[in-house]
Amino acid sequence: MNVHGQPFWWLLTAACLVWYSTITIYVAVRGLRDIRGMLKRLKDGQDDETN
Amino acid sequence: MSRFGPLDASIVGLYLLGTMFAGLAVRRYVGKVEHFLLAGREMGVHLGIASLAATEFGIVTCMYTAQNGFDKGFAGATPGILQAVAMLVVGLTGFGIGPLRKAGVTTLPELLDRRFGPRVRWAAGVVIVLGGLLNMGVFLRTGGEFLLQVTGAGGAGGGWAQAHLLEIAMTALLLLVAVYTILGGMLSVLVTDFLQFVVMSAGLIVVTVLILHRIGWGALVDAVQRHHGAGGFNPLANPTMGWPYLLFNACLQLAAVLTWQTAVQRVLAARDVRAGRAIYTGTSFFFTARFLIPGIWGIAALAVLGPRTDSLHAMPEFLATFVPAGLMGLLIAAMLAADMSTDSSYMLTWAGVIWNDILRPLHRGLWSEKRGLRWNRFTVAGIGLFLLLYGLWYPLKGDLWTYLGVTGTIYLASMSTLLVACCYWRGANATGAVAAIWAGAVIPVAYLVLEQVPATTAFARETIGPYWSGIAAYAGAALAMYLGSKVGARRAAREVPA
Repeated sequence: MNVHGQPFWWLLTAACLVWYSTITIYVAVRGLRDIRGMLKRLKDGQDDETN
Repeated sequence: MSRFGPLDASIVGLYLLGTMFAGLAVRRYVGKVEHFLLAGREMGVHLGIASLAATEFGIVTCMYTAQNGFDKGFAGATPGILQAVAMLVVGLTGFGIGPLRKAGVTTLPELLDRRFGPRVRWAAGVVIVLGGLLNMGVFLRTGGEFLLQVTGAGGAGGGWAQAHLLEIAMTALLLLVAVYTILGGMLSVLVTDFLQFVVMSAGLIVVTVLILHRIGWGALVDAVQRHHGAGGFNPLANPTMGWPYLLFNACLQLAAVLTWQTAVQRVLAARDVRAGRAIYTGTSFFFTARFLIPGIWGIAALAVLGPRTDSLHAMPEFLATFVPAGLMGLLIAAMLAADMSTDSSYMLTWAGVIWNDILRPLHRGLWSEKRGLRWNRFTVAGIGLFLLLYGLWYPLKGDLWTYLGVTGTIYLASMSTLLVACCYWRGANATGAVAAIWAGAVIPVAYLVLEQVPATTAFARETIGPYWSGIAAYAGAALAMYLGSKVGARRAAREVPA
C-alpha cells in the first residue's frame, strides 16, 4: 500500500475506519441489550412503586 | 445537479418513521423528573457510547470539521486528536468526572452548590445555559444549508415556500425532534441516539470508503501538498495554526471533556462511576474520527473543486455530485440522524440546567414529580421555540468559527476551573468561584468587542489573535479563582471573632 509519504495520516485514517466500523457493529449489538435491560429495570421500579 | 432520487427519499422516510416510533415507544417509562432528565441513571456503557458519539456529532460538526480539512488539510484534524487524548486520559483516571458522578448530582452547577453555595450554582447555571443556547443557535440553519445543498432542493424560483424551504424543512425536523424529546425526555433521547448512531456511522463510513476508493489517497495527499504545503500535514508548520493554536485547543478540548454539559450528562446518567468512565474511554477515539472523517470529505472537495473563498459550503457542494443515487439516501439519513440526535440531547440538557439550577429558587426541590415533569417539558418546548426564532428565522451574521469559539469559551473557561477547584483544591471558595466566572466570560467577550470596533480590529486580530485571547481566558479564570479565593479566605478570617 502506497502511503504517499504520509504514514502518520494514512495509519490514523485506516485506524479510524477500522475502529469506527468495529465499534459500530459492537455497540449496535451490545447497545440493544443495554436498552432492553434499562427498560426492564425502569418497568420493575414502576411496578414496585405501584405495589 | 444532485443525485437525490425517489429511492433516496424512501430511505430517508423509513429512517424518520423508525426514529419517531422508537422515540415515542418509550415515553410510558417516564414517571419522574429523574427519568426525564437522566433516564433514571440506568444507562449502560454501550448505550452511553452510542449516545455520546451521536450527540457530539451534528451536521454543524461535519460542516466545520470539513471546512478545517479544506482550509488546513490533514492538520485540521488536530483538535480531534487533542480531544480524543483528553477524553481518554479523563476516562482512564476519572479526573473531574469521577467526583462528579459520585456526588449523584443532576447537573454540574448542583455540585458547585455543595462547595460554593447557591449563588454560584445559579450564576453557573446562567453561564452554562447562555453559552450553550447561543452555541446551539447556529445548528439549525447550518444543518438546513447542508441538506438543501446536498439534495439540490434549494435554489431560486418558485413561490414563498420555495424561497423559505430551508426554514420550513428545518422547522418540520425540529418539530419531530421536539415531540419525542418533550414526551420521552432522556429515555427517548437515548433510544433514538442509539438508532441514529448506527445510521450515522454507516453513512460516514460508506461515504469515506467511497471517497478513498474513487478519488484515492494519493490524490488527497497531492491536493493538500499543492494547496497547503507542509502546513497541511503538520500543525506547527501551518501559518494559521502553530503553538498558540495547539495550546488553545488543548485547553478548549480538556475543558469541553470535563464540563460540556451534554457530554457530562452521559456520565451523570450512567449506572455508576465505573460505567461513566468506561463511556468516556470507549468513546475517546471517536473524537479523532469526528474530525478526520469529515476532514477527508473537505480535502476531497479541495481536490475535486479546487480552492475557493466559501470553504464552509465546498464539502456539501462536492457531495451533491459525488455520492450516487441510493447511497445519497443513506448519506441524508445519516446526516439527519446526526442532527436530530444533537438537537434532542442539547434541548434536553439545557432544559435540565434551567430546571435544576436556574429555577431552583422558585421550586426549591419541593414541587411534585408531575409538576416538575410539566415544567421540564415546557422548558424543552421553549428552547425549541428559541432555536426557531434565533437560529433559523433570524439569520446570524459573521464567522461561524469565531461565533462557536467565543460562546464556548465564555462557559468552558470558568466552568472547568470551578470543577477542578471544587474537586481538588481545599482553598477554593465562593469569592474565587465568582471571580473565575467573571474572568472566563469577560476576556473572550472583550476580544470580540475589540475585533468588532474598527479602530481596534487590527490590534485584536494581528497583535492579540483569537488563540492568545482564548488562552488568556483559561489562564485568567484560573488566576481569578486563585486570587479571589485568597481574598475570600482573608475576608472570612477577619470576620471570625477573636
